[in-house]
Amino acid sequence: MNSHPIRESFQKGIVFAAIMVFMMLTGFHMIAATLVSKIFGFYVLRGSIPEIRFMTYIHVLFGIWAGWSASGKTGKISTRIFRGLVAGFTAGALIALFDLILNFLIQSGTDIRQYLSALSFESMNYFLLNLGQIGTLVHLGIYTATGLAGSALAVFLRSESVQHGWQNLKSNTSTFITRKTETLPPFLQKYGKYLLYLILLAALLILPTMWGSYLNFVIGLVGLYTIAGIGLNIIVGLSGQLVLGFSAFFAMGAYSVGLLNAPEPHNLMWGFWPAIVVAILMAIAAAVVLGLPTMRLRGDYLAIVTLGFGEITRILLKSDTLINLTGGPRGILDIHGPTLFGKPFTSDVDYVYLIFAGVALSIFLYNRLQDSRTGRAWLAIKEDPIAAQATGVNLQKYKLIALCIGAAFAGLVGGISAARNQFTGPNDHTLMASINVLSLVIVGGVNSIPGIILGAFALKGLPEILREVQNYRQLAFGALLIVMMLMRPDGLWPSSRPLIEKENRSQTEENKTDEGGKDA
Amino acid sequence: MPDIIIETKEVSKLFGGLTAVNMVNLEIPKYSIYSIIGPNGAGKTTLFNCISGFYTPETGEILYFGESIHGSATDFIASIGISRTYQNIRLFSNLTALENIMVGQHTKLKSSWLDAILHTPRFSKENKKSRSEAIRLLKYIGLVNFGDFLACNLPYGMQRRLEIGRALANEPQLLLLDEPTAGMNPHETKEMIKLIRQLRDELEISIILIEHDMRVVMDISDQISVLDYGKKIAEGTPKEIQANPMVIEAYLGPGGAALAKKYQDRRRKNA
Repeated sequence: MNSHPIRESFQKGIVFAAIMVFMMLTGFHMIAATLVSKIFGFYVLRGSIPEIRFMTYIHVLFGIWAGWSASGKTGKISTRIFRGLVAGFTAGALIALFDLILNFLIQSGTDIRQYLSALSFESMNYFLLNLGQIGTLVHLGIYTATGLAGSALAVFLRSESVQHGWQNLKSNTSTFITRKTETLPPFLQKYGKYLLYLILLAALLILPTMWGSYLNFVIGLVGLYTIAGIGLNIIVGLSGQLVLGFSAFFAMGAYSVGLLNAPEPHNLMWGFWPAIVVAILMAIAAAVVLGLPTMRLRGDYLAIVTLGFGEITRILLKSDTLINLTGGPRGILDIHGPTLFGKPFTSDVDYVYLIFAGVALSIFLYNRLQDSRTGRAWLAIKEDPIAAQATGVNLQKYKLIALCIGAAFAGLVGGISAARNQFTGPNDHTLMASINVLSLVIVGGVNSIPGIILGAFALKGLPEILREVQNYRQLAFGALLIVMMLMRPDGLWPSSRPLIEKENRSQTEENKTDEGGKDA
Repeated sequence: MPDIIIETKEVSKLFGGLTAVNMVNLEIPKYSIYSIIGPNGAGKTTLFNCISGFYTPETGEILYFGESIHGSATDFIASIGISRTYQNIRLFSNLTALENIMVGQHTKLKSSWLDAILHTPRFSKENKKSRSEAIRLLKYIGLVNFGDFLACNLPYGMQRRLEIGRALANEPQLLLLDEPTAGMNPHETKEMIKLIRQLRDELEISIILIEHDMRVVMDISDQISVLDYGKKIAEGTPKEIQANPMVIEAYLGPGGAALAKKYQDRRRKNA
């Protein structure tokens, strides 16, 4: 009976060793070390090697993790610690075996970069902590020790007294907070929510001026994708229509602003604000053109047709047919930005404010729409179109409304981003753009505003900030999706339904107590 | 006749070579509970689907208050006061019970998406009314305190009731119930019979009922039609239907009527 958990620990050790070996083979250990050194505040130049100690940290962390996960949640303390030790030793031994191969390669001077491009001598030496043969033993030692430490840590942190203390701390803080809010003056109790909004607003106004232009650029990108995500969520999340040609609506918005507010090819120079209105209207017009014939389709068929629409739009913009009208593959250069009260938008800060306003507007619109007759009709269509129609919902009409409103959001995003980048071209509006927006909605959480913001951060913000892992973005992305589907199948921040009955009950109770007060 | 709420005139529906409904004539009086029975595959649900507009019959006409609704869209038919439930429950499973009812009110509300964005007076007034109305209906179907449950998390009997609640939110004149007591235990069945009676007596709704449970059918129906292979083979009060040899043969096969008579006689002798 005891042999079973021990075998499990062996397996854990093998898995961790395999992960480490693969990380080494792809050269990811150097990237990880660079990131760790960045966390400690040491900037590493591109192409140079971070200090050795950061690689040691990674080994140590990995060993602790292996020990932690091997130790399990139940059983005798001695067994659990022993399991961590076994896992650590197994991982260490396997990595040591791998080290022997590395050492052999280094000593014989065999260059196998032809087959594994990341396997340079520097990278191998770095993995061995520049210790050569001794590194093998050091690895074995590190993993055994840290496996032990990890399991001990797990046993300690999962022990009853620590858990109990943690629970106590949590409940104490929450009661402390509720007691504090109860003792607040009535003015604050009533308007505290608005006060919080005000603080948030102030933070959003002040922070962009302090962040620096790079972070502002990233935040702006996240904001734009948030607006697009909310727009697509109206189509996909509320009305349940899988539309993959979302980039066509971006293109409509971007090209409207570009053509109306750039010196070439038409030199119309209408100014940004009229142009953005036209951008939104054009996107809606495109949605009507797409929606009227296709909104009878369902599921896969709709996805394919709309995907085709997006590609046709992009290829048309790229082709020579419209070269005189839209500038062809070169795109539109030097698009002018907006001016407000005589002040032209020049810095990233200005655009961040504009984008924040757009995000606020879209959240406002989304919230109002989803708690309405229209919003409920959309949800009904998503859940069961046949039953929805039999309760009186006109399917075509409501699907079309959803598509148009979603497209309007996309037109806004396209217009703003064209002005912000001062450029738009056919390659800004590929299928990948549509898929990015769709995946951020799904990763974040369908029908959930915080989820969509989180998703935009995770999918657009993080890759920008973590430039080092750029080469591994697809890899990390795949891993993220798998982990997410296992851990949080409803998205990072899943949505919940409104509790109308409860709300109503508390309202009527309030009214009753009010009346009671009057009677007395 | 003004007392007829809905009338089918020689309605036929074909699926390829199969005649699912064959020249069926029905006249459903106002404020009655009218049952349609018949063996599996007799075309009962197909007839319902013709009335509620899912199918357009190949021949014949359907008259609602004397006016033809032949070929009308399903949502239009719902908007003129014909609601229905389904044999296999079709609730909006990821919406709460109350939201399901509020979707049911769709045709009774007028505010558009623009009203919702601008929060016009019309929207606020309707929103308030719709909520209180939904909560009232929730009480009526006996789901108080279950209003915030997701429909898919409700027990089976409640899901059936909720489906009726959603149909009632449309303030229908005619309610089509497709096997409302299917899969229910005796207690739930009793409650359901009570509810159906209430609908007719209190809300003055005419009801067409498809049902396999003969105790239910014979208990609450004012009139019964029997379909077999798409054809109407009998019509009448529960007593008449019970005695009709055609009906017994439809259920028990040829020779069934004689067999049934034999057993009845033997039982009488023993008693």
